Parts: sequence; structure tokens; C-alpha cells
Amino acid sequence: MEAFLFFTCGALMLLGGVMMVLQRSAVVAALWLVFAFIAAAGVFAALSAPFVAIMQVLVYAGAIMVLFLFVIMMLHGPVLDGERKRLPLPMWPAVAIPPLAVLVLVGGWLSGRKAEALPAAPEGFGAPAQIANLLLGRYLLAFELISIVLLVALIGALTLGLRERKLPWS
Amino acid sequence: MKLMYDFFTGQLGLGAAGANITVAAVMAVIMFTVMALCAIILTWMERKVAGFMQSRYGPMYTGRFHGWAQAVADMLKILGKEDIIPAEADKGLFKFAPILVLLGSLLAWAAIPWAPDFVAADFDLGLFYIFAVSSLVVIGILMAGWASNNKWSLYGAARGAAQMISYEIPLALAVVPVVMRAGSLNPQDIVIAQQGGIWHWNINPITNPFLFIAFFMYFIASIAETNRGPFDMPETESELVAGYHTEYTGMRFAFFFLAEYANLFLVSMIAALVFLGGWWAPFPGMGWIPPALNFIIKGVLLVFLNMWVRWTLPRVRVDQLMHLCWKVMIPVSLLCVVGAGVWMMAWGQLK
Repeated sequence: MEAFLFFTCGALMLLGGVMMVLQRSAVVAALWLVFAFIAAAGVFAALSAPFVAIMQVLVYAGAIMVLFLFVIMMLHGPVLDGERKRLPLPMWPAVAIPPLAVLVLVGGWLSGRKAEALPAAPEGFGAPAQIANLLLGRYLLAFELISIVLLVALIGALTLGLRERKLPWS
Repeated sequence: MKLMYDFFTGQLGLGAAGANITVAAVMAVIMFTVMALCAIILTWMERKVAGFMQSRYGPMYTGRFHGWAQAVADMLKILGKEDIIPAEADKGLFKFAPILVLLGSLLAWAAIPWAPDFVAADFDLGLFYIFAVSSLVVIGILMAGWASNNKWSLYGAARGAAQMISYEIPLALAVVPVVMRAGSLNPQDIVIAQQGGIWHWNINPITNPFLFIAFFMYFIASIAETNRGPFDMPETESELVAGYHTEYTGMRFAFFFLAEYANLFLVSMIAALVFLGGWWAPFPGMGWIPPALNFIIKGVLLVFLNMWVRWTLPRVRVDQLMHLCWKVMIPVSLLCVVGAGVWMMAWGQLK
């Protein structure tokens, strides 16, 4: 059951990613990315990590992608017209990624059938309590450093955005 | 749920997987029916409340008794309308947006505990799940606004997205103290932790004053989250026609309408189960009232409060709305979380 969920969601996630790259309209591409994120949440759920799965939907699909869409819509996101046939050169390596990913998935599925002896997740695995203990205990330093990086990025973006205006303290 | 499961396995001889799937399907149909019914009843209620607030009667003629059939007549009218898609619209997105909006609230309804043994999806992260799936509604609203290819729709959608994302933060933060108190994210556990009458409910200011403040934070944020007055910036009739659903007609408009009232009842039910004791009766001797009835009465009373606010206060401006959220409600909610934790440690209430 879990293997079935994992591979279905994995395939859907790949589909979302491929469709996103193929879209001509930036808005539709962003919506396919939302689809891929939700499928990724399904993968996490199948790996008995329900908290991460819900976080994926809440943060990525619910908040970050809305901000993406917001910006794309405000800037009248680009819609490619139908003339271009050939991909520009730097895009070519990217084309190889989806087939490779499909290969990995199929390979995993085939080998997963044989390997039955996957150990079951321990009691309380992926529960909020365990994640909190790890984040605010063992990995506290990394957790705080990441918050500082995000804060610096936020202030940096604000400063860049305010460049044109006269700053109140200058 | 257990009863239904036993019925399918025992009486009908289904296997465990088959019975689980059947129970899920039956619960989905029940939830959708209740949702549609609640939208119809709340529409009528809103009209009567609006009439009462404005010293008039509201609907009086359809169906003889206080116009009770007005909502049914309106629903039939909406279903009979022509389905128009604007020529310049993005057709796929235009069709998909109302479904996504409705899907977000229907998914959230699944985790609501109506009674001790009646919850469609009973799992440990239920409360968290409710907030996660209801954030999908924002994407639906943005899609609707953009796909309509109408500047009023786009303005409405942009306002709606900004507002809903901002108010999601105090909404979720206000619930955190309760989660700390119950020691669980499972809605059913949170309700069970409030057993034993009105003074054991989480809202009781003597047990923990910070939970009392958190209830009001939640209530204000929930009004903004459902895009209703005085925070109905996404649909301001006087400036944006009807906001993100300006171009929608017929069945697709009905979906938005249904989702609006389903969301209104959803946030009220969450407030009832988190702060007001869920399906517990208010006083110990009242055990004869069916739990689900207790719960629905609490939900409807909160909906009434919501309508009261809507028809009493004038609309705020966009900057006032954002000011209230980021500079008042988020700091106060954060203080509530810290304060509730300190209070619980001081009085030894932590689990």
C-alpha cells in the first residue's frame, strides 16, 4: 500500500515537474509546480512523515507559491509565443533530467518489489514531538543559523527594493 | 465510524480494505450534503440577520414562514442561469478555479469531529491538516481572478491572497496555546481534554487568561480569513463590482458561494472545538443532548456573531487591514503563545 502510494505520488510529482517546464504561460507553469508540491507531500506521507507532508502543503503550496503567483500576475508574467522550435543551448542538459528521473523511479519500483525486508518506522517517527526535539535540541544551531540567513535575505531584499527611494535614516 | 465500519464488515460481509473505502465514500457524501445544506440555511440566516440589524424583515413571502424557501428558490435560480465564460478568459483555469476553492474547504471539513465517534478523517495532525488544506483556497481565488482576464477580478484576487496569507499567521498562532494545553494536534483529543462543563473549556479566563485572549485573536482572524465584512476587501461592491468572482455565473458562481458559507461554518466549528469545548454540553447535567447538536449549536452561534459583526461595522481600508494584522494581531498572538506557556509552567498545567 505504502509502496503503491509512494510510486503513484512520485510519478505525479514528475508529471507536475515536466508539465511545468513545458508550459508557455508562467502562471500555468506555477500552478503545475503547486501540483508537483502536493504530490511531493504525498511522497512524504507515504514515507511515514506526516508532519513534513502537511508542512509541504502549508508552506510551499499554500504560502510560497501564492507569493510566486502574486508576483507573476502583478508583472504580467511572460507568455511565450508559438514561434520558437529549438530550445536554446543551455536548456539541453535539463531535458535529460525527466527521463533519468523516470529511470530511477522504475528502477526503484522494480528493486523495491524484491526487497521486502524494509524496516518499519519506529514508534512516533515523524511526529511533531520528535521533529521538535531534533530541531530545538540536536540541530538547534543549524536551525538558528538558517533563520538568520533567511532574515538577512529578507533585509537584503527590502534594501534592494527601497534603493530608489530616500531612506528615512539617511 | 466504528458502528458504520462494523455494519459494513458484519452485515454486508466486506473485507477490511473494502469497508474502509466504503466508509470513506459514505462519509464524503454525508459531508458534502451537510456542507450544501449548511450553505442554504446560512444564506437564509444571513438575510434574516441582516434584516434584523437594519430594522427590516428580510425575506418574508417565499414558503410562507419567514421566507424560509427563499434560499432554495435562489439556488434553483442560480442553477438555471446561463454559463458564461468570457471570450478572453483562460478557459482551463477559469473552469478549474471554483472546483479548487470548494475542494479546499471540503477537505478541511473531513477532519472536524462532530461527535465522540463521528469524524470522517480521525488522525493525529488533524488541526494542522485543516490549516494546510484550507490554504489551497487562496490559490483557487488567485486562479479565478487571473483567469477571468478582468482588472476588477485581478485586484480582488490580489487583495484576497494578500489578506488571507497575512491572517493565516495569527489564525494559526492563536490555536497554538490550545495545542500546548491539550498536548495534541488531534481535534478529537483537544475536545476530550475540555471535559466537564463550561469552566473546563479552554476559553475560561481563570484557568488561563492567555487562551481567553487567543480566542478573540482567532475570531478576528477568522473573519478576515473568510473575506467577510468588515474585512471584505476582495469583494468590495463599491469599488470592485464583486471581486474575484465578477465574471462567474450559474453553477460556477454557486461553487464560490457554497465555499464561502462552508468556510464561514468551518472557521466557526474550529473555534467551537478548540475554545468552546466542541461537542461537550455546557453543564454536567445536560448529557441527554446529542453531542453533535451541542457542536452545531455552538457553531451556529459563532456564525451569528460573525454576521452580527459583518452587518454592524463599516469596511476597513486595505492599509488598516494590513496594519491590524502585522502590527497588532501577530505580536499579540505571539505574546499569547509565550504567555500561555509561562502560565502553564507556573501553575503546573503542562502535560
